[in-house]
Amino acid sequence: MDPQSLTFLGLPALLWIPLLPLIGAAFNLILGRYFSKATVGTVAVAAVFGACVLAGILVFWGLFQHPNDAPQALWQTGGYTQTAWNWLEVGSFKAPLALHLDSLSAVMILIITFVGTWIHIYSTGYMAHDPGFARYFGYLNLFTGAMLILVLAANLPVMFIGWEGVGLCSFLLIGFWYENDAYAYAGRKAFVVNRIGDFAFLLGMFLLFWAVKSLDFADLDNLAAHGATYHDTTWGPHGSQVWEHEHLTAAAGILLFIGACGKSAQLPLFVWLPDAMAGPTPVSALIHAATMVTAGVYMVCRLSFMYVTSTTAMVVIATVGLLTALVAAFIAFAQTDLKKVLAYSTVSQLGFMFVAAGVGAFPAAIFHLGTHAFFKACLFLGAGSVMHGMEHGGSKTPGDITTMGGLRKHLPITRITFLISCLAITGIFPFSGFFSKDEILGSDWTAHPPGWPDWYGKLLWGGLLIAALGTALYMWRLYFLVFGGNERSEEAKHAHESPASMTSALAILAFFATVIGFIGLPHLRMLEHAPGAVHALWTWLAPSVASSWYVAPGQTMPIASEGADSTTLALMVGALSVGVLGILAAWGLYGRGPSKTVDRLVDGPLHDAYVASKNKLWFDEVYDVIVVRPFKLLARGLFEIVDRFIIDTVAVNGAAFVVGLFGRLARWFQNGQVQRYLVGVIVGAAAVFLVTDCHHHPSFDITRTGDSISLRAETGAGVAGSGAKLHWHLDGSTDCSVDKDKPGDPAELTVRAGDTGANVTLCVEDPVEKKTLVVTRRVPDAPEPTAPAVSGGNEVKP
Amino acid sequence: MKIYALLVAFAMALGAPAIATAQPAPQAQHFGDVRTGPPAASYSPHDDIVDGHGMGMALLFWAFAIATVVGAIFVISRRNLIAAAMGMVGSFMGVAAIYMLLYARFLAVVQMLVYAGAIMVLFVFVIMILNRPEDEPVAPTGHVGQVVGGLAILYLIGRLVMVLWTVELPNKAAALAAPRATALGHAWGSVNAVGTDLFNGGLFPFEAISILLLVAVVGAIAIARPLSEDSNDEGTKGV
Amino acid sequence: MNDILFDVGYGHFLVLSAVLFLIGVAGVLIRRNALIMLMSVELMLNAGNIALLAFSRMWADEAALSAHTFALIVIGVAAAEASVGLAIVVAVFRGRRTIDVDKLTTLRH
Repeated sequence: MDPQSLTFLGLPALLWIPLLPLIGAAFNLILGRYFSKATVGTVAVAAVFGACVLAGILVFWGLFQHPNDAPQALWQTGGYTQTAWNWLEVGSFKAPLALHLDSLSAVMILIITFVGTWIHIYSTGYMAHDPGFARYFGYLNLFTGAMLILVLAANLPVMFIGWEGVGLCSFLLIGFWYENDAYAYAGRKAFVVNRIGDFAFLLGMFLLFWAVKSLDFADLDNLAAHGATYHDTTWGPHGSQVWEHEHLTAAAGILLFIGACGKSAQLPLFVWLPDAMAGPTPVSALIHAATMVTAGVYMVCRLSFMYVTSTTAMVVIATVGLLTALVAAFIAFAQTDLKKVLAYSTVSQLGFMFVAAGVGAFPAAIFHLGTHAFFKACLFLGAGSVMHGMEHGGSKTPGDITTMGGLRKHLPITRITFLISCLAITGIFPFSGFFSKDEILGSDWTAHPPGWPDWYGKLLWGGLLIAALGTALYMWRLYFLVFGGNERSEEAKHAHESPASMTSALAILAFFATVIGFIGLPHLRMLEHAPGAVHALWTWLAPSVASSWYVAPGQTMPIASEGADSTTLALMVGALSVGVLGILAAWGLYGRGPSKTVDRLVDGPLHDAYVASKNKLWFDEVYDVIVVRPFKLLARGLFEIVDRFIIDTVAVNGAAFVVGLFGRLARWFQNGQVQRYLVGVIVGAAAVFLVTDCHHHPSFDITRTGDSISLRAETGAGVAGSGAKLHWHLDGSTDCSVDKDKPGDPAELTVRAGDTGANVTLCVEDPVEKKTLVVTRRVPDAPEPTAPAVSGGNEVKP
Repeated sequence: MKIYALLVAFAMALGAPAIATAQPAPQAQHFGDVRTGPPAASYSPHDDIVDGHGMGMALLFWAFAIATVVGAIFVISRRNLIAAAMGMVGSFMGVAAIYMLLYARFLAVVQMLVYAGAIMVLFVFVIMILNRPEDEPVAPTGHVGQVVGGLAILYLIGRLVMVLWTVELPNKAAALAAPRATALGHAWGSVNAVGTDLFNGGLFPFEAISILLLVAVVGAIAIARPLSEDSNDEGTKGV
Repeated sequence: MNDILFDVGYGHFLVLSAVLFLIGVAGVLIRRNALIMLMSVELMLNAGNIALLAFSRMWADEAALSAHTFALIVIGVAAAEASVGLAIVVAVFRGRRTIDVDKLTTLRH
């Protein structure tokens, strides 16, 4: 049966994947406080787990069908789309609420729901003593739902719904303990920085819509194949094709990427992620390690068909990713807060992913995304476990690693899982990080996008190698300072292991961090005879992401290059050795607690570097001066001028003042004294006459019936009108001075046609103003012209 | 006061025989081409009515007009209510004489009977009931109101005068001449003529006005009836 | 000037009517005593009658005679109105002991 037509309760089956967590969120947020913690937790976990199961069923649909009528598997087709309803329809722009399941989004939903389920289970233990239990799970479910909408979206507007939704939930969850001002500010900072990215995202959307008139991924993907589709966009004073498609995709791609920078914490919008550690640790694990921050990477991969047409955008992505990886690694060295180190590590690893995406190795980026989700979530949950233990040991600053040490004796399970994840992140064989990181480095080495200099890929490779070394150093510094050596404080001595709900999640995640790498083995000739499953990820993702560069209309160039096995193996060995070098160096410096060497280095030659790293390279301070303070000044100015003065004083109070003024005027007339009303009546009567006296335009009517013409003067009302002296000039002469001493003519006159000339003039003497007004009008023609009957002009005299 | 009353009486004494012996003069109608007014018919002279021209008639008009206006001014300017009432009476008598000059004989007598004879008596009754003949003449409607109202009034009078100055009213020369008789042979404005019209064309208004007067009587009684039934307060209140 | 003084025409009656009317208006505006105000109203009605009869005399035919009927009705209405008005004045005086309209500006009790 074709999964495309699956519906449940009238809604498409795909829609139920995000809908289940959303229902759970609604339940927990609205009704959660009336139920016990067990109920709330069960509902939340069940919602996400249900989504996981459903996702599994839909993704692996073919496995549940009879082989004969099983549809093609997802990785063989381009996936399918289900539309819930028509959301936006304005003119020719249509944005239906459509969800699209192909192999790329399948990977994402599996990761999100699976990791999410375990983090929900972990949270039931971690947040067991928190009064905001129901609220927390409501938000967590809401986040999961929004994230699923984001990855399942079939067009940019729906993706933006999810984009905004995860931003909102991030804010809600970071500032979960909002009674603490600092935490609330951290939440606000995350939201604001995200918003800046969202603004760029919107601009990118507008640009794409303006050029392509559609925001469906299907349509945008076709742009590359049919470059001429928007090659015809004409814009500019000469009407020529000023915006060629490369410029367009570059601009749109960069704008969308800036949005991704905000969401995925790249330079320069990464400043919110370290502060986001103010939220509960499972939140950091889910949102800031596994899912939300990967939304940017997902977006780039989803639009890979568009990005491959613009090497400019790709260069930007790769460069920003590289710089971010290096800067974050640098800052992580001097941090003393457990979660902050992990936060910077996340930023750095995201940089890796973006570099991979930037060189066109989209499957590699997704691979690293997946492995990172597992081991980083495990690291964060492990950190949560450590902090939980320290709190129970009585620590007031549970995250401070200077007070830890020797915890391997007290938290054994946590230590094992943490160890495994550190090995994974460092890229040690056979853990998953080894394969994914290696894939990225290998793609960099062989990258050859059109229009790039040859050495650029090598440069990226070198930079990432340094970053990998840094990763190893600071991660193992962290491990040894926390678990190695001896306890450096009393609280550490009293720490104990976490409950089973937490350790079970740790174990599961660590297991996957170990084995998940084996679905993405590189294509080596010596693995030709291995089962296809070891290359599963590449085949799986092949139809969903671009695999060739777009050089010119009709001309493409494959991204991946066939290299020799030896190159690949050499690169792998190189990466491995860098990782091992890092571990050894860290063991040497921190193996038994911070050594004297470190202190000597910090006080001596590395002092400035240490200070810079400790102060996060002063990013926050710089932003404060450049952005925040001018903005506050502007806001204050607007408040004072526009709000206080214009709106309050002038408009609101002013309106009231005018009304009061008129009221005072009206009140004079209505004070209950009848005589004053009469004054009004008399004055009104006088005014009526006054107006008619002052405004009158004398004129005359001239009508012709057959042979006779009747003239009627209208001198208006009033004294001037009634006292006016009239003189008719039937010959049309406008000289009124000849009438000076003649008596006035009557106002109505009937003459014969022949008595008049072509025009008739009326002279009106105004007795009041002593002026003479002259009005001339043409005599209308009769229907049948008559011969003039009488000679000479006869004026009818009174 | 007394001199005024004497003046009025003198004027009336002059006027009544003058009117009674007035003779009409045959006048040609002069309407001009402006309006299609009443037909330009000739008058059949009555030999008992004098010519409309002449200083005598004009003098009569001015005398009674001045009496009317002076009486009206008395009304609005006297502090003493009874004096105001007397001025009113004189004004009404002047108005009756004016009606006579306009050949509305029946109405002149009705005016005397009803206004001066009944309404003013009613006013005097009420003045006596209230027992407060004194009052302050000028009420403050506020200086603004006084000035503005006064200006408006003056403007209205002036405007009317200007209109009449510049407009030729028809039939001017025959203003004070006697009009012709009605179709039934009665004099214009006499009791017969007005009565004929009243009971032919004006029957409905006649009945209506009688009902109105009935209603007014009932209403006046209802309003002015004492609120409390007991008569103990009569001595102290005085109403 | 002579013709104004000696050639008495309808204009004179109309001006007389207007003057009488406006004196009545002035009386209503100026005086505070309710009785005087009623008398001024009677003056206005009379002025109206004068104008009516003057115009009636201007046309002086059968149809114009109906103006006399009209004027008669007006006199009847004036009588009715005067009686009711005076009754109101008496009733008000009974309650408030004053007929000064400036003090009678509210409709309380």
